[in-house]
Amino acid sequence: MNGPAPINDRRLRFDSFAEDNLFTKKPRLPAMGWNSWNAFGSGNTEELTKAMVLKLKELELDKLGFKYVVLDDGCYHPERVNGHLQADNIKFPSGFKAMADFVHENGLKFGMYNDIGTRLCSGAGVGIYGFEKTDCEDYIKWDIDFIKVDNCYYMWDNATFADPENAKYSYAPNIKRIEVDGITYDAEDAEITGTRAEIIDGYATYIGTFDGTAPDHSPVGLRSSELVFQIRSDEDKKTDIKITYASGASEGVGQWLQVAVGENIFYDALLAPTESPEAFTISPAIPIDLSKGINKIRIMNHRRQENTLHSYAEIRHELENAGDRDIVFSICEWGKTQPQNWGHKAGDSWRILNDITFQVGSDGDHGTAAWEGDYTTAITSQYNKAVIMDEFAGLGKGWNDPDMLVIGMDGIDETMCRSHMAMWCMLNSPLMLGLDLRRVTKGDSLYNIIANKDLIALNQDALGVQAKRIFTTYNCAEPDKEYIRDNNRIDILAKPLANGDIALGFFNLSKERKADDPAVSVETILNATGAKTAGKELFANAKEYRIKDLFTQEEYTSGSREFKAGILEACDCKVIRITPLS
Amino acid sequence: MTTDDFIKELCSKAGIEYAGVYTRGRKEGWLEAEDELLKAQTITRKNVARICHMYLLKVMGISDLDISGASKLKDLYDCRVCANHIAQVYLRGIMDAKNIMRDGEFLWFDLNGEDDDEADREAIRRLLLIHVGDHVHQDMSGS
Repeated sequence: MNGPAPINDRRLRFDSFAEDNLFTKKPRLPAMGWNSWNAFGSGNTEELTKAMVLKLKELELDKLGFKYVVLDDGCYHPERVNGHLQADNIKFPSGFKAMADFVHENGLKFGMYNDIGTRLCSGAGVGIYGFEKTDCEDYIKWDIDFIKVDNCYYMWDNATFADPENAKYSYAPNIKRIEVDGITYDAEDAEITGTRAEIIDGYATYIGTFDGTAPDHSPVGLRSSELVFQIRSDEDKKTDIKITYASGASEGVGQWLQVAVGENIFYDALLAPTESPEAFTISPAIPIDLSKGINKIRIMNHRRQENTLHSYAEIRHELENAGDRDIVFSICEWGKTQPQNWGHKAGDSWRILNDITFQVGSDGDHGTAAWEGDYTTAITSQYNKAVIMDEFAGLGKGWNDPDMLVIGMDGIDETMCRSHMAMWCMLNSPLMLGLDLRRVTKGDSLYNIIANKDLIALNQDALGVQAKRIFTTYNCAEPDKEYIRDNNRIDILAKPLANGDIALGFFNLSKERKADDPAVSVETILNATGAKTAGKELFANAKEYRIKDLFTQEEYTSGSREFKAGILEACDCKVIRITPLS
Repeated sequence: MTTDDFIKELCSKAGIEYAGVYTRGRKEGWLEAEDELLKAQTITRKNVARICHMYLLKVMGISDLDISGASKLKDLYDCRVCANHIAQVYLRGIMDAKNIMRDGEFLWFDLNGEDDDEADREAIRRLLLIHVGDHVHQDMSGS
């Protein structure tokens, strides 16, 4: 492994991220099912999985859409056997194919897990890197219907357990100046695109892509930076560029450089390392072509995103090569490389942050989750990012994934669980249950939350539109775009539905009762949801509206053109479905 | 200390049978297949944390603590599968963090690091001193 593979397919390039041209993807609604991780962590077994399958059937959760049964990390033998993946012989003594058969015999679908790196997060040396073809052929033989692919031990980024110095692939070196045709151009006079890079002491640094794993940065807008020089040429010609740079191997300063003129890339490789990130040197001459007129010379490194997309695309490609199975592809790189920009090209969903809990359960232990927290490990941490990501999601694109449900874990009460379910349904998130279903009985409080047909209908609505935040009591100009982490507020979300109805969700994020009672008008709703609204005219011109509370099931008709929730208890929500009456 | 030596030491101090411990431990849920397969390798701190925590949970029957007090460990969230193991052994005082700043506090668990034999034995000693209802290690509690 001398470095990431050359990328010869321009469809994998940053400049093509917006195009849907890599695979023929089946438009599908968010996946629903049960995943072993939050319930049992690395302690999941064949016996436990079979028990979950039987409970899904007994509770008739499968009839509500919970069909995928996914084995997460901790299920494999820790090394390859004759080059192949194999089940842990104590936990899954009958093997994966037998497990898949059991799941299928019960009318459900079977999912598995791997990593784009060399090992799984658990440390097992069976990461898919270098074994894409073999492993995908085995997955097809095992009849999988779903695969979640994680990001540990990834070679070309400073991912979890990877060498931290892999950051050298993720960022360009610090750049002081360039020289073209004997003329020097200083970095401080060039344009910096995006929101990442900056000029420090006369040189540009942080040329690359934000690490989105932690909840510190907004996903909206350009999350990477280039240094762009505008250079005039009197003719079409071949010339050279020399770059004064200093390399490093940490977040913000790397060693990999891309040089493009317009969309044509002329250099895409490591430069020789320098003694320190401040010890500048001049690169060898790099041949480039200039056109007559103004040329945009782009000094950049988009490899953090391109490499990761390349790795995921290779797995998808090998799965498609290996057989004709309809497989949901769940990208789980924790938002690290801003997958909202490229995830739609290869995946059906993409995780947006690190995990929602690190305190997963085991047999007899519910695990623990939180409503709020400084890091990603809280329901509101995930929600606060996902709620401004609606424009990245959609049918045919895929779904933002704020991680699996934590309903039923310790540390959160029934109200929080109810709001959590409502949020994930409004946000068109995948709905993967993460609790020991043996604890659930039809009609009990857990069942009533996870089996709320009306909420699930929002998540699985055929229009496939993620709700948009159209109002918040937090003071901000653009509620659908501003990244708000202060939970002392109420949000109002609107979700257009296929039959012309609109769902509204009122969420009190705070741990205090709120009597603000904010209202939104028909006009505010339609202005925000815009062209994505089915039957917009009918909704706008309705004389009355039928309103259904999706928790209490109460229904009533109103002539008012304003909608409100009343007093909201701490962490509580109200979700209503509004039908226009002509 | 190798993983095997660590498990032998744990068996010896806990008074449990070493013979068959790998199969038994995996069935009971406190050992993983890698522990046996890679038993000759030097045990890492994250694996000491995992074995101690799972032993605490599955054999000693002691429930988890809330882990928010461990968020001061700068590398806690570097590992989704071991974060809880590390937090539990840290909060219970079974394993200590390292302060890597000369002035001030920058606590680092050092997941992939290796301890000397004495530190590994000390972790086992502290593990076996834990009792149901024990409080969080005084120096480590929740700020």
